[in-house]
Amino acid sequence: MTDIVAIIVNGLVYGSIYGLVAIGMTLIYGTLRILDMSQGSMVMIGGYVGWWALATHGVNPLLALVLAFIVTFVVGTLTELVSVQPLIGRRGEVDFEMVTFITTFAVGILLTNVALQHFGPFQKNVPPIVSGNLDVYHGVSISYHELTMAGVSVLLMGALGLFLARTRWGFAVRAVAQDLDAARSLGVPVSRLYPATMGLASALAGVGGVFLGALYFASPTAGDLPLLQALIVVVLGGLGSLTGTLYAAYLVGLMQAFCEVKIGTTWTLPILYTAILIILVIRPYGLKGSPSEARL
Amino acid sequence: MTGTFSGLSTTRWMMLGCAIVLVALFPLVYTDPYYMTIIVTAEVVLILNISWNFVLGMAGVWNFGQLAIYALGAYGAGWLMLHQTWMPAMIAILCGGLFSAVISVLLAFPTLRLFGIYTSLLTFSFAQVVQYVALNDPRGLTGGSYGYPTVPGLFPNMSQTSYLRAYYWVFAAVIVASCLVVAWLRQSHLGIALRSIRDSPGYTAARGVNPRMTRVIAFGLSGFLAGVAGGFYLSFEQSFTTSQMGLTPMSIDVTMLVIGGLGTVMGPLIGTAIVTVIQTILIDYPGWQLTILGATLLVIVIFVPGGVVGLISRTSKRVGAWVEEDSEAVEPAET
Repeated sequence: MTDIVAIIVNGLVYGSIYGLVAIGMTLIYGTLRILDMSQGSMVMIGGYVGWWALATHGVNPLLALVLAFIVTFVVGTLTELVSVQPLIGRRGEVDFEMVTFITTFAVGILLTNVALQHFGPFQKNVPPIVSGNLDVYHGVSISYHELTMAGVSVLLMGALGLFLARTRWGFAVRAVAQDLDAARSLGVPVSRLYPATMGLASALAGVGGVFLGALYFASPTAGDLPLLQALIVVVLGGLGSLTGTLYAAYLVGLMQAFCEVKIGTTWTLPILYTAILIILVIRPYGLKGSPSEARL
Repeated sequence: MTGTFSGLSTTRWMMLGCAIVLVALFPLVYTDPYYMTIIVTAEVVLILNISWNFVLGMAGVWNFGQLAIYALGAYGAGWLMLHQTWMPAMIAILCGGLFSAVISVLLAFPTLRLFGIYTSLLTFSFAQVVQYVALNDPRGLTGGSYGYPTVPGLFPNMSQTSYLRAYYWVFAAVIVASCLVVAWLRQSHLGIALRSIRDSPGYTAARGVNPRMTRVIAFGLSGFLAGVAGGFYLSFEQSFTTSQMGLTPMSIDVTMLVIGGLGTVMGPLIGTAIVTVIQTILIDYPGWQLTILGATLLVIVIFVPGGVVGLISRTSKRVGAWVEEDSEAVEPAET
């Protein structure tokens, strides 16, 4: 019984944070047809912003989250301007999906190594947003930090859903995802929408980074593991499908918690990847993906 | 053979022959052990890049699991060298290559149903699984994070100069042979089928080309060469660890391929040379190596699509056009 409670509680917490990091990738893929490999670096930058604000300046945690959101939004926008904007309109000349995969990957390498130069290879401790533990069930406890993390993640994902469903910019994002040319001819400012979308997705990952930084550490390679996990989640959910990503995030979270409790931490990732291999062979477009049309 | 390389004139063939002779004579003249080690290591990376370019560039399959195939070749060869000591090292390396080819063919089947980005994710996750299993192998077959620390290799008892020379020649011979084979395959039925499947799978299948068979053959050939490259690396360094298949070597190899020009015969050669030179210059600033490589990759992809080879062929075409215009205008008699 304790095991089951531990699996469910940890699974939901993991699932929320995976959802937050992965939903940005889905948003970008759904609108821009880009698999953003720099998303992991945004988690890393968020971690460093958290460290800078919380550990060295003692800022209010809420302010630290807002700060991380703004910083990664700007970095994400710049990333788009550098690595994607010059390629738009050259779809005949270059294989857009592959080239942007490589350019965002290059930006990821760049950001990681700039962080390595600036902060050094050593891990920095990020203090938790909220301290203390909550005892859930005979010996199964959860820290308030993790609880806040799950809560903020769910809140942000809900806000993203509302943004897409209700606001003018959200309509524009969905219109572009559905039909780029039609959206453009109806006056959607695509050249401003693309950077904004990527900035927004990066900002979500950046906020996730502050929480993950406190859970582990802030270090130049802190984004690698979240990137790999987000890749698992988006592929499992079907690239570009927001609801699919949510299901997949919690499924992966529960699977990871199950592996950690029952089998051991070292085998978690191989088992997840094997599951992905099998699922992709059976369902080539993920759980809720469809061949290539818009899915947002 | 000349018939299959109809694109090359006699002069080109002679130039190629001269280049090969120069490359072969080079270590007799130059013996600095530091730079020779760098060159020989670059040769191994080049063999890997040729194999990867065949699948990634020519066949257009987004295979990001090539480093796992490469590592499996190294582990296969290393296991044979350590545990089956009666076996000649060259045979062990070839067996490692065959092992890689088999795994690569098995990897080809699930990728048949996928497109673009999904293929890359599937192969990438395959590579991750291989790496984690090799790292945490409970039965000690791979040596975990220590890998294989001491392997006899191809030439166990030799002085340093002749050791470097011997490896240099073996690797150079393999590079020349595989370049020729790739150049020949490119113009063969298989190569044309591969490229047309990449550009239009439905149409090619309708014209009677079997996409499954073609891709399986491509994966098999490429996997074999990658496995041999792994065996070569293991035998030259006399050790192998999982760090050889991580994200960093992968990003460096991708940079090499893209800078050189994906899908071309000379691309891997030029890309590997350029990146190796950059790395060697920046050897004292290890932090800046990847930063500069990442920036180069970004600039090349955006401003020079087709890499250096594409740039050269476009420029030479343009220069050729100018020359023709001039000769027509001034002296029509000149050839």
